[in-house]
Amino acid sequence: MAKIGVYVCHCGENVKGAVNIQEVLDFAKTLPEVVIAKDYQFMCSDPGQNLIKEDIKEGLIDRVVVAACTPRTHEPIFRKALEEAGLNKYFYEMANIRDQDSWAHWHDKLGATEKAKRLIASAVAKVKLAEPLEDRYQEAEKSVMVIGGGIAGIFAALDLAEMGLKVYLVEKQPSIGGNMAKLDKTFPTMDCSACILTPKMVEVGVHPNIELITYAEVEDVKGYVGNFEVTIRKKARYVDWEKCTGCGHCMTICPSKAPNEFNLGLNDRTAIYIEFPQAVPKKAVIDTDNCLYFKTLRKTGKVACKICEKGIPSKNIAGCPAEAIKFEDKDEFLTVKVGAVILATGFKVMEKHHFKEYSPNSPDVLTALEFERLISATGPTEGELRRPSDGKKPKSVAFISCVGSRDERFHTYCSKVCCMYMFKHAKILKEKYPDIDLYLFFIDVRTAGKDFEEFYVSTKQLGAKVIRGGRVSAVDIKPNGKLRIRAFDNDLCSPVEVDVDLVVLATAIEPGIDTEKLGRFFGASCGREGFLREVHTKLYPVDTASRGVFICGCVQGPKDIPESVSQAKAAAASAAATVMPGKIKFEAISAEVIRNKCSSCGVCVNLCPYNAIVLEEYQGIYKAKVEPALCGGCGTCASACPSKAIIFHGFTTEQILAQIEALTTY
Amino acid sequence: MEGNLIKLSEEFLQELWEEIEEMGMSVKDLRRCIQCGRCAATCPMALAGLDYFIKKIVHASILGLKEIFLEDSSIWGCQSCNRCVEICPMDIKPYELILALRRMCMRNYAMPSSTIDSLRNYYEKGHSVITAGYEERRRKLGLPEVPPTVLSNEEMRKKFQEVIKQTALAEVAPFPLD
Repeated sequence: MAKIGVYVCHCGENVKGAVNIQEVLDFAKTLPEVVIAKDYQFMCSDPGQNLIKEDIKEGLIDRVVVAACTPRTHEPIFRKALEEAGLNKYFYEMANIRDQDSWAHWHDKLGATEKAKRLIASAVAKVKLAEPLEDRYQEAEKSVMVIGGGIAGIFAALDLAEMGLKVYLVEKQPSIGGNMAKLDKTFPTMDCSACILTPKMVEVGVHPNIELITYAEVEDVKGYVGNFEVTIRKKARYVDWEKCTGCGHCMTICPSKAPNEFNLGLNDRTAIYIEFPQAVPKKAVIDTDNCLYFKTLRKTGKVACKICEKGIPSKNIAGCPAEAIKFEDKDEFLTVKVGAVILATGFKVMEKHHFKEYSPNSPDVLTALEFERLISATGPTEGELRRPSDGKKPKSVAFISCVGSRDERFHTYCSKVCCMYMFKHAKILKEKYPDIDLYLFFIDVRTAGKDFEEFYVSTKQLGAKVIRGGRVSAVDIKPNGKLRIRAFDNDLCSPVEVDVDLVVLATAIEPGIDTEKLGRFFGASCGREGFLREVHTKLYPVDTASRGVFICGCVQGPKDIPESVSQAKAAAASAAATVMPGKIKFEAISAEVIRNKCSSCGVCVNLCPYNAIVLEEYQGIYKAKVEPALCGGCGTCASACPSKAIIFHGFTTEQILAQIEALTTY
Repeated sequence: MEGNLIKLSEEFLQELWEEIEEMGMSVKDLRRCIQCGRCAATCPMALAGLDYFIKKIVHASILGLKEIFLEDSSIWGCQSCNRCVEICPMDIKPYELILALRRMCMRNYAMPSSTIDSLRNYYEKGHSVITAGYEERRRKLGLPEVPPTVLSNEEMRKKFQEVIKQTALAEVAPFPLD
């Protein structure tokens, strides 16, 4: 006979406001094997937990049911209380009479009280059949992989490296730096982006604990928290990076041109190129799609060009002085073992072509990131503001916010940084060209953030004109080359029209192209909008559904640089907390296959969302086996197994049937 | 203006800012306005339903839409209550903008005829509003037929006019000062 104690929590008014506590207590005492039923205002408080601990220590009870809030947040602390009192922590069950009862039936107090009784009866029926379970521990690799070398990835890697952990920083592009490297200045301090980013990039490049793997992508992931095995594909560079000195000579002699991605196609780069002047590592790669040698080889099988290697002897032009060109280079694969992973692959900006009403085909209608390159000293015009169409200096510029954001047809969310960077652009222009006429169109102005509102007001004071109240309906090209904007001005209560020379669209921040694929590799899921989802917005903001996999920066959602850096540091701390102790605890709630019942059908293998089940040869026959460390404790396999060969510890079939019976009896 | 449409770039006149500055209002201060609407919530012009109440006046000034003030007579409806100045969270002193705009309009001879009448009265008789036709009633009450102000003091009235002639009105008055 079990001795069950039932503890009913008032949760202040949250439960008590709808449930008759005394009635529930009286009922609980009538349940079989219940020896104690008590209530308390806050069971999770120290005195509340002490009630349970003392009853256990005095030998009054050996099973515990707490009727309170959600196990999601509170189960761990009550389990701990059991453990501290010397009882196996899995002799515990929680009846959620708040989220699933008092809150849901706030205006039906009789009904809520009845439902509380049944939920408690069900929990009692289950805990009666509970078995003592033991958590397990497993060794963890004391290293972390950070994927994505933008500002978030850089900071996460640096913090981890400073803690003495081995860090692998993987970046898709030849250089780290990400989107921040493309920015001219940063709000609200107007720091030059390159000036504050470059030293950090260099720090990453020389840190003894950081292994920088750029121009590389994740190919495959095996394992689980503490023991991830990540296979990385290092793309062929066709330049020997051991030899390349980053002198840039090849870029002066290469005859093939291609749109320069770093400048968003506003100008051309050569087929062999170093991404940008401050690149880390500052090494060249050959883009085989545009290289004359590779193009000719593919088409005709003949060898051509090779100017980067050999130069043009007849004109006395030398080839690569470091003899680093390596046309025969191949993709390389390497597998790395790490204990935790941080995903920081950032965002991409929405293309302008979606917005036909804004004349996207006009070269003078730019996205904000294109504009950022246009005014950058390292951009296509070396910082000189010139209209792409005719090279003339624009006298007036319009900025349009919420292009693709706050729009049911594209993205329902606010991209968060646009209002502020529009003011930043206005400020840069007004400080450089005081006479320029600027119109900033907003739905409404959102400047929540430290020093942001002051930035807005000071930009207005420079003379930028702010038009609020409604989306711009159209940007039309006039015969004289001007761009006509139609909008509504809420403050004038009037439709308005403006003719300008240049239009900048604050297009939405979108998830990166491979975000979902990358998430799937690591078992991290995406939200509705395609950004990787955190476990809990407030309490677990950098954790994913997959243990040991953390997120930071814009891969989780739109955010500015200060926020990305804060999140990066948070993710670094969480990852370090996971791997630093050297061993990892695995909860005992997991599935187990009874080998001699298993019919080898393999149904469970495909259903398991955690890829935790494999068919393994055992005495000549393939049998299902659950890797406990990977098992997420969802129970899918146990419910699907046609041979009932899977025991789901903590939720056995007997326990669930007993629960259902209790729910339907009372 | 074309119907209800305002062409911001075509109607923009930088001179409005220069004139506002000249008339004693800092445009840089004015641009601090975030259009919160607190002034409009207390402005008698807004309550009276005038087209261009104080919040819109500030915004139109920042946009340099001079024509609006030359065509619309709302600014002359300001009651000088000064509430907007007291209540403005950005401390931009909206009432002073109204005064500056009125001065600007004066120089462009853009004001309602009632304003010209008041001004003429002010110059000629020393009062912008004169109550005429009460002589009989005043006499019955034992009061002098003409009130004992500049109205009945020719000498003081002349002196007052001399003072007025030394103000900006000498330049911009829409009637002869003689």
